[in-house]
Amino acid sequence: MTFLLQTLILGALVGGVYALMSSGFTLTFGVMRIINLAHPAMLVLSAYLTWWLWRRTGVDPLLAGVGICVIMYGVGWLLYRAVISRVQRIDPELTLVASFGVAVAAGGIMAFIWGTEVRTATPSYFNTSYEVGSLLIPRAQLFACAGALLLLGALYALLHGTFLGRGIRACATNRDGAALVGIDVDRMMAQTFAIGAATTGFGGAALSVLYQFVPDSHFVWIGRVLCVVILGGLGSFAGVGLGALVLGIGEALTASYFDVRWATAVPYVLIIAILVIRPQGLIRRRLRTDGALP
Amino acid sequence: MSVARLPRLLLAAGVLLVALVPLLTPNTYIQNMLILTFVLAILASGWNVMAGFTGYVSLGHAAFIGVGAYTGGILAAHWEVSPLLVAPLGGVAAALVAFVLGLVTRRTRGAAFVIVSFAMLELLGLITRNWTSLTNGSNGFLMPLPGWDLRFQNWPFYYALLFLLLLSVAMTAGIRRSKLGLGLMAIRDDEVKAEGIGVVTSVYKSIAFMASAVLIGVAGTVYGYYVSFLDTSAMFDISLSMEVVLAALIGGRGTVWGPVLGAFLLQPLTEVTNTTMGGAHAGAFRLVLFGGLIVVVTLLLPRGILPEAQDFLRRRRKTSPTGTRLADSAIPAAPSSPRLEALAGRGGDLLRIGNVSRRFGGVTALDEVSFGVPQGSITALIGPNGSGKTTLFNVVDGTYRAGAGGVEYGGRDISKVGRARRAFLGIGRTYQLPRLFDSLTVLENVAAATGEFRFSRLARSAVSGAEAARAAELLEFVGMGEYVAAKAKDLSYGQRKLVELAQILMLDPAIILLDEPAAGINPTLVKRLAALIRTLNNSGRTFVIVEHDMHFVMSLSDPVVALARGRVIAAGTPAEVCDDPAVLDAYLGDDFVLEADTIGSAR
Amino acid sequence: MSPSAVFRPITRRRALAALTGVLTTAALAACGLSSSATEEPADSDGPLVIGMSLPLTGPVADRSKPGLEGYQYWAEEVNAKGGLLGRQVELKVLDDGFDQETAVSGYNKLISQDKVDLLLGTFSSVLNLSVAPIAERYKYLYVEPSGGADEIFARNFHYLFFAQPATSEALPNEFLDQVAKMPAADRPKTVALVQQEDPVTKQTAAIFKEKLAALGVKTVHDSTYAPDTSNFDTIANSIKQAAPELVVSGAVAGDGIALIRAFQKVKFTPKMLYQSNSPTDPTFASSIGAANTEAIFTPLAYSAAAPYAGNSEFVAGYTKKFGAAPSEDAANSYSAGQILAAAVTAVGKLDQPAMADWLHKNTVNTIVGPLSWDAAGRSQGSLLLGQFQAGKLEIVSPAAAATVQKLVYSKPGWN
Repeated sequence: MTFLLQTLILGALVGGVYALMSSGFTLTFGVMRIINLAHPAMLVLSAYLTWWLWRRTGVDPLLAGVGICVIMYGVGWLLYRAVISRVQRIDPELTLVASFGVAVAAGGIMAFIWGTEVRTATPSYFNTSYEVGSLLIPRAQLFACAGALLLLGALYALLHGTFLGRGIRACATNRDGAALVGIDVDRMMAQTFAIGAATTGFGGAALSVLYQFVPDSHFVWIGRVLCVVILGGLGSFAGVGLGALVLGIGEALTASYFDVRWATAVPYVLIIAILVIRPQGLIRRRLRTDGALP
Repeated sequence: MSVARLPRLLLAAGVLLVALVPLLTPNTYIQNMLILTFVLAILASGWNVMAGFTGYVSLGHAAFIGVGAYTGGILAAHWEVSPLLVAPLGGVAAALVAFVLGLVTRRTRGAAFVIVSFAMLELLGLITRNWTSLTNGSNGFLMPLPGWDLRFQNWPFYYALLFLLLLSVAMTAGIRRSKLGLGLMAIRDDEVKAEGIGVVTSVYKSIAFMASAVLIGVAGTVYGYYVSFLDTSAMFDISLSMEVVLAALIGGRGTVWGPVLGAFLLQPLTEVTNTTMGGAHAGAFRLVLFGGLIVVVTLLLPRGILPEAQDFLRRRRKTSPTGTRLADSAIPAAPSSPRLEALAGRGGDLLRIGNVSRRFGGVTALDEVSFGVPQGSITALIGPNGSGKTTLFNVVDGTYRAGAGGVEYGGRDISKVGRARRAFLGIGRTYQLPRLFDSLTVLENVAAATGEFRFSRLARSAVSGAEAARAAELLEFVGMGEYVAAKAKDLSYGQRKLVELAQILMLDPAIILLDEPAAGINPTLVKRLAALIRTLNNSGRTFVIVEHDMHFVMSLSDPVVALARGRVIAAGTPAEVCDDPAVLDAYLGDDFVLEADTIGSAR
Repeated sequence: MSPSAVFRPITRRRALAALTGVLTTAALAACGLSSSATEEPADSDGPLVIGMSLPLTGPVADRSKPGLEGYQYWAEEVNAKGGLLGRQVELKVLDDGFDQETAVSGYNKLISQDKVDLLLGTFSSVLNLSVAPIAERYKYLYVEPSGGADEIFARNFHYLFFAQPATSEALPNEFLDQVAKMPAADRPKTVALVQQEDPVTKQTAAIFKEKLAALGVKTVHDSTYAPDTSNFDTIANSIKQAAPELVVSGAVAGDGIALIRAFQKVKFTPKMLYQSNSPTDPTFASSIGAANTEAIFTPLAYSAAAPYAGNSEFVAGYTKKFGAAPSEDAANSYSAGQILAAAVTAVGKLDQPAMADWLHKNTVNTIVGPLSWDAAGRSQGSLLLGQFQAGKLEIVSPAAAATVQKLVYSKPGWN
């Protein structure tokens, strides 16, 4: 029984980390309908920045991550203006392909700057755990989960409680209508994208502590982030939390009770299952899609 | 005559030159580069059928190489024959995988399909790697070493792949010219609409998917034999999938030779950069180059080289007609209709809506709606926005299932009949915003509508002589006869409405559902439209018209049904319905007066 | 207007395609023809060109760099002593980014286009597996320093030679000997096998399982994880649940470190821990905590302290040039160079078949010990067993290379 509980706890914690990594992605995917495959590359970039800062100054990586968010906001803004918005105007279907190109090129740039050796940040808590009875809760993962909850909550509050958030939702629902009521749609889209990118600041910092990484690491995260966001349903933050939990626990249970080798297949199986059985995700309801005027 | 022959001659010369390369030089580096180019070209060509023609962008095409390679390799080892002999079975396996992909993604489109294809690629790679008893897993699968003389080196691989490439191009060209190709492009432009005009999308897509994969699977076996060692990470690689997409984009997706051109540009470029760049940072530089190339191509050359070149050359020729006023001529006679002749003399209701309800989550769009549409009538359906009129149309033409209740047509229950079959039975429907296939010409749009499905027809040419003649006749009828060669996307709103009507008429429908036909067009066209409808009605066709223009609809129709909030609130003659207090309250307003001489009145 | 006229693709477009296709292939053909037409006859006074394609970038880049340095150091040393056959040695290095297809293209180019005089092998079993057949076909001697998976040697290639002391099937031997020598009371009763999905680690895990069982050690856990696994918490937890006294971890690179960190997080310390590859990584100590390395066993192909021929000079010279002691990867490359040089010098001319025959019949003294090979190219020596003691990686076995006499039998807990 303890073993089962411990497995569930480990799975849930990993799920929390996944939620942290995916929070920004669901913003761009859900609100802007843009699949940004460069998102995991931005996570790795911010992991490198965090690690580098930690090596130079000894500042705690997770704290540094908060600051790195600001840098990633700028990176996101640039990326949107330079590439994403242009491709969207030309042919929205190709945005995914273009973002993959950016991801690959970013991997090359990171390899150039920091080399290809394996890196990881090791602050004091990187391999310790809290003990609750006979159960262990790894510290670093717990901090990352707390960060995930805060971040998802903050994004939800932003979207539903602020003027900016209302504007974002307006643009997402009806772009032309939003423009007609005086919203600078282009600027708003750039801000949304940049906010999504900013979340990778903290996500990448967590990555640098929890995992070892190399410039190519972003590839393995593409499948996981996609799975979390699709399980959760378009643009639902509660969905991201739920989807991440399902994925994390699913992987943990597969590894512990079935066969470790299949643990990495779980995201892909879930993606196919959900998109075929319940395309709107675990939470959302089906929307009217018959092409009639709204 | 010689000018038309010239490109063909050049193409033949090019193919001949490529075919002679192994005989001209023993340099295996060049041969290797060309072999890899052939493989990429076959991949890109196959991808083009699924993505360029049908509009289903796949990130998983690398999987078909892997499936073909492993299938061929395993069977060759098991039966102890040369992999080249079992290569066709590799193709069969790949086609099966593609077929399953098509089945599984019947309801997924767009971004969701892209993601599923990616997940399929990764999952197949994982299954291949974990199924160690069959594939030897991560140890890799050893293919037999070729036993022939070193003098002939790579010739069997070279010529086998070249042959497959030419076959792939021939297949693509054949599809593009055929009825199948026309249907696929309709699906690409507007899948929902295509289903409604009789394109049985599930069958078309299955064929397209299998065609897309089969030759890649065969090439996979040959390629696996060539590299002599199968490794799951190399065979199921997302980067290879992206290279395929890039090659097709560079050359021009949707064209026949575009993907091949793209492959011939991309692969040598990759090879040359790989083998000439040295130094510690070469790999990083290569990644930046590859990624940067993807971005540049999507930003600057999104349609690819061939279409851009085509457009550039075409600008020098004369343009197609646009902007001519619709002649204020007399309405021609209604086109003939075999179906109507069969139905003639049947009285009663042609369409009967029986207690139909439909909910969307918490919203009840239709609430036990019941009424009948008498055969040969023009029935009007009026009501405020959101009252469920379009939803009702969607239930009748099969886009939605009724939550409760049923639809009877010609005396039989069609609630379980699919959309394409309803089109075959004679139900035609237009949309508030006219839906046409923008990448096709007006004639192709009309000819795309088919009244029946036959497998043998798929392989024949896209628009046969008889079909073209009939389409031209229908376009002449609606007044768009001069626009047969115009591209649908160049038409104005009113012109699109007329073409859409001609499209529906191609189905030889017994009942036509018109969704706000008079909206947004000038009064002259409104008059003409009314006249067209009346002519068609006089020859026996039944109409159901949703309209807000009361004068238009009341002048035409006899039975009127009023809907509000999903329920029928009144039904009867125009005069009765317009006096009904419930209708006045919900919709028309207290000061509404039905005038005696309305526009285009028949009296 | 006839329907087919509307639908036929425009002829000019095909012209453009044809033209481009023709020009491209014409250009390629021209390149190919010109280079083979202007080939220079072997210049007996010019440099001796040795070709290779290495994974200098990509997942194993950090291990390829010292590997390349080993080759470069060897070439410089040879040249300083007058070269091979009186000619200066020149290395022609390509980068394949750890991609099979690129490696194959690279070696094809080196052989066919550049017509190099000699070849040296690349790193990792995966790449060597796809490249070795090419060398075999063109009858070039192929000495490879890194990639001991049995499959490479399963094809009985005549021109293939391994530069490490033994292939992976011999890897477990030293540790098994030590376990057999332990007093019965100290010997572990249970073992957990955990390895990455990789041909070498899976092969050795299978051997361990069988031979440990013969020694009375029961296997209580056996799992294989995917190469892209990044989270080892659940695996570590499962192993903890099985409570083994010995853990045999078949790691390939960073996964070994991640596994140990996971053990730390779930607070599980095995009595004995044996792990391949990761412990020789330079970041091992800093990644898991320097004090935590105590008593961890690992197999090695090379020891800087071993008294084999030319080793001390190599260590001294290498350290002086690169500022750090040579790693296993550098040493393996160096010994591959030594083997090649021995064959060339013994035969006296660039006769690849004669060189291959000579190597099969003779023993070469290298810095990793005296090497001889069977008909398939497997080296017949034995690998080393190392153990961390007081922060230093000591050699425990075989006796000829040992730096300490005693083993630490029990692993202290993590801190």
